[in-house]
Amino acid sequence: MLTEREVLSTLEMLKSEHLDVRTVTLGVSLLDCSSHDPDIFMTRIREKILSLAKDLVKICNEVGDKYGIPVVNKRISVSPVAVIGAGLSSKDLVKTARVMDQSAEEVGIDFIGGFSALVEKGLARGDLSLIEAMPEALSETKRVCASVNVASTRAGINMDAVYLMGKTIKSAAQASASSDGLACAKICVFANIPQDIPFMAGAYLGIGEPDAVINVGVSGPGVVKKAIDRARAAKESLHLGELSEIIKRTAYKVTRVGELIGREVASRLEVPFGVVDLSLAPTPNVGDSVGEIFQSLGLGCIGVPGSTALLAMLNDAVKKGGAFASSYVGGLSGAFIPVSEDLNIAEAAEKGFLTIEKLEALTSVCSVGLDMVAIPGDTSPETISAIIADEMAIGVMNKKTTAARLIPVPGKKAGEKAFFGGLLGEATIISVRDGESHDFIRMGGRIPAPIQSLVN
Amino acid sequence: MSNFVISVFGTDRPGIVASVSKALFESGCDVRDVSQTTLQTEFAGIFVVCAPESLDLAGLARKLEEDLIPYGLAVFVKPMGAGKADAHAGKSEPFVITAMGPDRLGLVAGITEVMAGFGVNIVNLKAIFRGGDDPRRNIMIYEVNIPYGLDQAEFRDALTRRAEELELDLSIQHRDIFEEINRI
Repeated sequence: MLTEREVLSTLEMLKSEHLDVRTVTLGVSLLDCSSHDPDIFMTRIREKILSLAKDLVKICNEVGDKYGIPVVNKRISVSPVAVIGAGLSSKDLVKTARVMDQSAEEVGIDFIGGFSALVEKGLARGDLSLIEAMPEALSETKRVCASVNVASTRAGINMDAVYLMGKTIKSAAQASASSDGLACAKICVFANIPQDIPFMAGAYLGIGEPDAVINVGVSGPGVVKKAIDRARAAKESLHLGELSEIIKRTAYKVTRVGELIGREVASRLEVPFGVVDLSLAPTPNVGDSVGEIFQSLGLGCIGVPGSTALLAMLNDAVKKGGAFASSYVGGLSGAFIPVSEDLNIAEAAEKGFLTIEKLEALTSVCSVGLDMVAIPGDTSPETISAIIADEMAIGVMNKKTTAARLIPVPGKKAGEKAFFGGLLGEATIISVRDGESHDFIRMGGRIPAPIQSLVN
Repeated sequence: MSNFVISVFGTDRPGIVASVSKALFESGCDVRDVSQTTLQTEFAGIFVVCAPESLDLAGLARKLEEDLIPYGLAVFVKPMGAGKADAHAGKSEPFVITAMGPDRLGLVAGITEVMAGFGVNIVNLKAIFRGGDDPRRNIMIYEVNIPYGLDQAEFRDALTRRAEELELDLSIQHRDIFEEINRI
């Protein structure tokens, strides 16, 4: 027999705290689609995506209805296209992106990830073709997402790739100038990219993954915030250790939801269940914000002194609760602070509390840091590369994932607004100190792997 | 040996279960199942007992009434039904239906009529009506078994339509979600 409290508290999380499953992502291996003939290659990709994903949306909706928990996004991640299409030209890879886009549309999903390359130790021919294809591919498609891993703790930082991505991001912004550089919102540059991220834009299916797999991204910043608010309203003198315990317990509940729904979707699709990604992922809706948690925990807004310590505590508590709730945890598993996608964080940036440097500091204690950060359109490729390099260094030295999703908004300056629409939201352009990093970036080469990589 | 079902009602106070079980013990009855609940000030208990052959329904009822009526308790005794206790097991799925909204006459009747029409069995019900328009003060929580093979979409639609007519906010969720979230 359920207790009244169990039923009503669960309903409350659903109805007023935005409890949902943020994404169910079907990983589809395309390793068996390779061909020297571009047409055969693209036909195979389309057929495989359609055959495996044709019921994804329907099943997610049915399972969501059964438990009364909405599955907000249904998505697909595929094997890195730079690997499976290594022999193709950049023009053919642009066509491949269009095929991925159409296939995604046909199965009714909003994003497909995996237009990706892994170049931390060097750029192979397929990687170069793919990166060259990115500006056109991402500005001409709606649903395709790209990621490039330019660094790892084991390999160090491929500074040639970092510079190439700085230039590519600039080109992608120009190619999508009419939509404020929207193509860049679909490019993530990573250090230590996980193989099983369900969240976009970084999702791709790693080489070591099965033919098909379901990975789930849970969310719940609204649930965490309300739990903190309730606890503080009930007892004013709560200390941070007690609040950390409340966050941990809440993360447990949120993760159980993702695990239950992910397993049932996987079972109905007859594919293995992969991982739950324990990230607090916000949306541009009021009450579904990571930034609001900072205010509930006593800071004026995210970005003020104390923010890094608070985020460290929050991230750690979420992981502890989530790890207990799921047998298989993976992906990014950390709080997201995407500036444009979180209304509260976007406001902090607008008021000047959140600078590039503070975002970078926050990255040291969460999963992705410079995420959906709009910067002035005239920022040089070298400065963009240098910002990326700083971000990568934090990941490499701390044996963790970091990522940069920077949008140099064409024709706009710091303080102006960029509009991306939908889940990608809108953001005030943050100022950047430009022009002092060029010599360093142009040196190129690979920053060696740190001593902490020698763990064997 | 005969099985009987005994229902006991009265204003709640310490010692009711003790009084009933003492009377049963003195009658030689073996208690098999007991459940009790209290609603506002009122106690209700149901006892399934195995009585000795020498004790018939009338004899047991007489003994219980003699012992319990002086304490302000009402007693009802009946023979146990012949059906199997787990008649629905394995043939249905457990769901929780929650409805809340402004208080008015006929809310339980309206919702349960739809359930009955689809052959949906209620296994547990908690309803609180404190009056007024605040939905949080007027809540029904039904734990039900929905038979396999039932068109769930049709059932959901019918129940949702009825809830709208009654101005109720209604949710239908598989029971597992509540267990997964709240229990280790």
